[in-house]
Amino acid sequence: MRSMICITGATGGLGRAFAVECACRGWDLFLTDISADALETLACGISSTYMVNVDFYPSDLTDVSSRERLFKHITEKGLIFHGLINIAGPDYEGPFAQRTPEQIRTILRLNIEANLEMTFEALKHREKGRSFRIINVSSLASFYPMLIKATYAAYKRFLLDFSLAIREELRRKGCTVTVLCPAGMPTNPPCIHAIDIQGFMGRITTKNVGYVAAKTIDYALKGRPVYIPGLVNKILGIISRFVPSTTAARLIYERWG
Amino acid sequence: MLSEQNMIGKTVVITGATSGIGLATTIMLAQKGAFVIGAGRDKAKCQKAEETILENSPGAQVTFCIADLSCLSRVKVLALNINRIVNEKGCKGIDVLINNAATVSSWYTTTPEGFETQFAVNHLAPFLLTHELLPLLKKTPEARIIMVSSGSHFRTRFNWDDIMLRKRYNCLLAYKQTKLANVMFSIELNRRLGEDSTVRAFSVDPGLVNTEIGMKGTSGLVKWFWKKRSSHGITPREAASGIVYLASEPSVMREKAVYWKNCKSCNPSRYSQKGEALLKLWEISEKMCGISSEKYKLPPVV
Repeated sequence: MRSMICITGATGGLGRAFAVECACRGWDLFLTDISADALETLACGISSTYMVNVDFYPSDLTDVSSRERLFKHITEKGLIFHGLINIAGPDYEGPFAQRTPEQIRTILRLNIEANLEMTFEALKHREKGRSFRIINVSSLASFYPMLIKATYAAYKRFLLDFSLAIREELRRKGCTVTVLCPAGMPTNPPCIHAIDIQGFMGRITTKNVGYVAAKTIDYALKGRPVYIPGLVNKILGIISRFVPSTTAARLIYERWG
Repeated sequence: MLSEQNMIGKTVVITGATSGIGLATTIMLAQKGAFVIGAGRDKAKCQKAEETILENSPGAQVTFCIADLSCLSRVKVLALNINRIVNEKGCKGIDVLINNAATVSSWYTTTPEGFETQFAVNHLAPFLLTHELLPLLKKTPEARIIMVSSGSHFRTRFNWDDIMLRKRYNCLLAYKQTKLANVMFSIELNRRLGEDSTVRAFSVDPGLVNTEIGMKGTSGLVKWFWKKRSSHGITPREAASGIVYLASEPSVMREKAVYWKNCKSCNPSRYSQKGEALLKLWEISEKMCGISSEKYKLPPVV
């Protein structure tokens, strides 16, 4: 069996862009997401267009038993991977006190539990003798404490720090870890609307998902640790190093609060 | 110029029939007595369009199918629904297929199958729908397939290395490529059908039309630009008259011309007639739609 790239959250806008980019490079794919129908539709489109093998298994990554079934499926089918792209991750925008307990649990389960377990399992099933690439999708928000997106920014920071840490642990084992930190991603009409209402700032900090997916994989193949798409976003990332967190939070409040 | 020919007893299928050029064309065809099967994405809009058509043409024979053309599996379902309606109504087949639905997207977005949205809706959907409806088109003595293209296909070429512009997306270029694809599909389809075929494909340039196409799925700058530009355009009804002419005028079936504007034949771009490009686009489209020439009896012309 040929080794594959494993993509979580594959049927969302960014997931599809990564799946297409990987298929364009001739890599076989293993896709997972919550909807079996959406996975089948995507697998059908990609396999007929790019002549690669696309396998999929539906899984609700917020659910422990569903994750276990996914891992069992991977083991039983003897799937092997040479890369993992962790995309699954919800965003519930709004003041923290207005979130529901279910939303808070989903954020923790999907972004932290599922991401860590998926990384752990994929490493167990990596192809021997071949470089293994991990791409985690964080956000430009991970560089700042963000009101309205408090939990989102915080778990994206977790992903960034976790990724950079295991990158060093795995470096000598032929494994690279790259973190994507984009600003706005115009993946669907609500996201495009949200970028639109930010006006000029929204426009200059946004990059097309196809471009971002291609560049992220280029960065991963070079073993680079962090990819921030767009010059303005890169500058915003650099500024975060010099601005105290409390000041940054207050400045963001002035703009968004 | 509007053909005087009535269309009583003719069956017409038109996509994107709920607004703009599609709605205006549907009204005019219904007024000429055709049985029109319209396709639209939104149920409420389909109902509203049906009401508008019946207001303009009381007693009109019109029915709507709901279909999201951004998903190819739903295009196949649409074709099945059209087949069912044609059989239920006792129609002989389809006399005219008008592939009118189109979209514009400011950003690179993908369909559920992973295709760039404009490429999927404006090119792949009509490519697949035409293939699926070909058996019904072949059942009528003179069938026409009309692709609503655009003059923007001139001075446009395909980026074969990245046909869906993943890495360097440009909204206008993506749109122009799909309109070029419409013309090239018409040309290549006629070649494959052969000169003796009872089915003929045409592309029509409706000109600059004051519609809402540039206002949906686009961001501020594109909306502003389209609003300014389209305000100088003709009305959807004026644009529809060129399509209705191609759908109804008997003499057009005897002409070899593929590309039409203002009820007159003209030459499409030179690039759109290049044999190698025609073949390449066809092969790519077949691959993306997961279909084969053999199944539809449309072998390439050597």
